[in-house]
Amino acid sequence: MIRESYRQKSENELVKASLDGDKQAFSEIVSRYQNMVARTVKGMLGDSVFSEDIGQDVFIKLYYSLSDFRGEAKLSTYIQKIAINLTLNEIKRRKRFFSTFSQKGNSEMYEFEVADNETEGKKEAAELVSKALMSLNPKFRVIVAMRMLQGYSTKETAEMLDLPLGTVLSRLSRAQEQMKNILRKL
Amino acid sequence: MKIPELKDLIIRSLDKESDPEKTSARIEEAGVIWKFSEGFQDKVLETIFSAGDSVVRKIEFVRNLNSVFYRIAITGVAAIVLLMISIFVIQGSLSFDSFLGLGDSYDESIVYLLTGN
Repeated sequence: MIRESYRQKSENELVKASLDGDKQAFSEIVSRYQNMVARTVKGMLGDSVFSEDIGQDVFIKLYYSLSDFRGEAKLSTYIQKIAINLTLNEIKRRKRFFSTFSQKGNSEMYEFEVADNETEGKKEAAELVSKALMSLNPKFRVIVAMRMLQGYSTKETAEMLDLPLGTVLSRLSRAQEQMKNILRKL
Repeated sequence: MKIPELKDLIIRSLDKESDPEKTSARIEEAGVIWKFSEGFQDKVLETIFSAGDSVVRKIEFVRNLNSVFYRIAITGVAAIVLLMISIFVIQGSLSFDSFLGLGDSYDESIVYLLTGN
């Protein structure tokens, strides 16, 4: 009953209640946006336990920066920006780590645990997309993940990443070329 | 959806003219669904509401450590560049001798300095 009442609240109401220390309100925010964050984080980092940690960090950071949210943009955009930044930081961190300590690519760290998929075909599809995304240059990966997994338009992606529209369009076109080559090998 | 069909859909989804909402929905239908594990929401809430300020302090610490590292690295590089410029200005070259401060010295004077003869 209580949960139902939170489901009907608007984004701004939930943010305000969370700022007042209402745990249920923040729980509703997590519930509404966790799948969106999972698509971004797992799309860019692979489906592994590490992605869960980054996902948690996204919501922890959101909680402690809620007071900075002015309600000018959608809450989903605000969360998405946090998710993208934390994921890109993690990609950079891993790149540094692997270039320092290992000759192997970091793709070996990813496990593909697609437990929720019903059939083998679906599991295969998820693995294919994950492998293809992991093989992409991170600069292109974020744009592809936004478009292919989240369904954002080029304009929305540009706003989300604070990039000029032309840059997103050119990266999209280069990403498509790179993707063609990757998928040919998979 | 068969794999060649999915590959084609992935490539087409990156066309500028494609409808991203439609294609992402089709990709999801094919089985590309990523979710966090059961209990993710509870874990997040537990971390925030049980640990309180220590979590934010930890995050801030790691973030500050990263920025401090870069600042130190940049300052170090700047100091090395300044040092090289000053060596070049004073000694007139960047040879190994200049680095050791021996650019203007003759071999004989070094021998005299070391041995006294």
